Amino acid sequence: MAQTNPGKDSQASEAKKLISLPTSRVRLIMKSSPDVSSINQDALFLTTKATELFVQHLALTSFNNGSGREANSLDYSDLAKTAEETDTFHFLTDILPKKILARDYLESLEQLQDEDTDF
Amino acid sequence: MDGDSSTTDASQLGITGEYMASGHYVLQPQDDDGEENMNDHEDGGTKENYREQDIYLPIANVARIMKNAVPQTGKIAKDAKECVQECVSEFISFITSEASERCHQEKRKTINGEDILFAMSTLGFDMYVDPLKLYLQKFREAMKGEKGIAGVAVGESLGEDLTEDSFTNQLPTGIITDGQQQNVMVYTTSYQQIPTVQQIQFS
Repeated sequence: MAQTNPGKDSQASEAKKLISLPTSRVRLIMKSSPDVSSINQDALFLTTKATELFVQHLALTSFNNGSGREANSLDYSDLAKTAEETDTFHFLTDILPKKILARDYLESLEQLQDEDTDF
Repeated sequence: MDGDSSTTDASQLGITGEYMASGHYVLQPQDDDGEENMNDHEDGGTKENYREQDIYLPIANVARIMKNAVPQTGKIAKDAKECVQECVSEFISFITSEASERCHQEKRKTINGEDILFAMSTLGFDMYVDPLKLYLQKFREAMKGEKGIAGVAVGESLGEDLTEDSFTNQLPTGIITDGQQQNVMVYTTSYQQIPTVQQIQFS
């Protein structure tokens, strides 16, 4: 029997206020790991909450740690630098390779060739 | 353009400086769409297959959390948001597979809260553990009146036999009877009884 008790409803919404990410999507991502069969409610909540903490942590660390290119902003290179330099975020280095513009790379190659021809 | 990391050998290229510090790099397209990861070097892990599914959390949510984390006047580039979105999925997978492993080692099938906390600790996120425990307690308190939590000894059959008169507000029936809380799973676990819980009165 569904008890539509206002006290209970506000409890549910209280619980929902604790997190700002969709747990269903978090569960989907968790399930995409190999050999994961089931996930209990606590685990789902903790993972979702931890993810929020992670976003805050990564964003703020990268923001403060920035490449110095632009103060007061956060861009991709700040994140890549943080992944490189901070142990906690080192697991991200595979998906956050440092980028270089193609033209810069080609320039470097040219310079190298020039150097080779200077005996 | 080939993002082949075999060209990252500094001695071959004679390039020093920041581009080589990371050990590998990708070529960034001129128009800088930011999110394209052209680095296709395989590390041999089975996770590579699952990453192809590209399941991410909604960028609006992620962006909001980022925005609230940095100083108010700070700016966040679009490619940074997209990138964090990807990092998040990576983080979740990272924690989950560690927790899953522990679970299997102990011959259990369901990943529980302890597994997650343990994984955090092991993987260098032990600073999250204490705040998470507090949040979990709040969550349990908020949920304890909800259907589906078996924190008190009420069996499913009892939930049907007893009339409304004999209940206080907070009755866990052990049955999810409506779709209100879509993510609640029925499970039993041992809660520590929180003193302020209203006790069920059976007449």
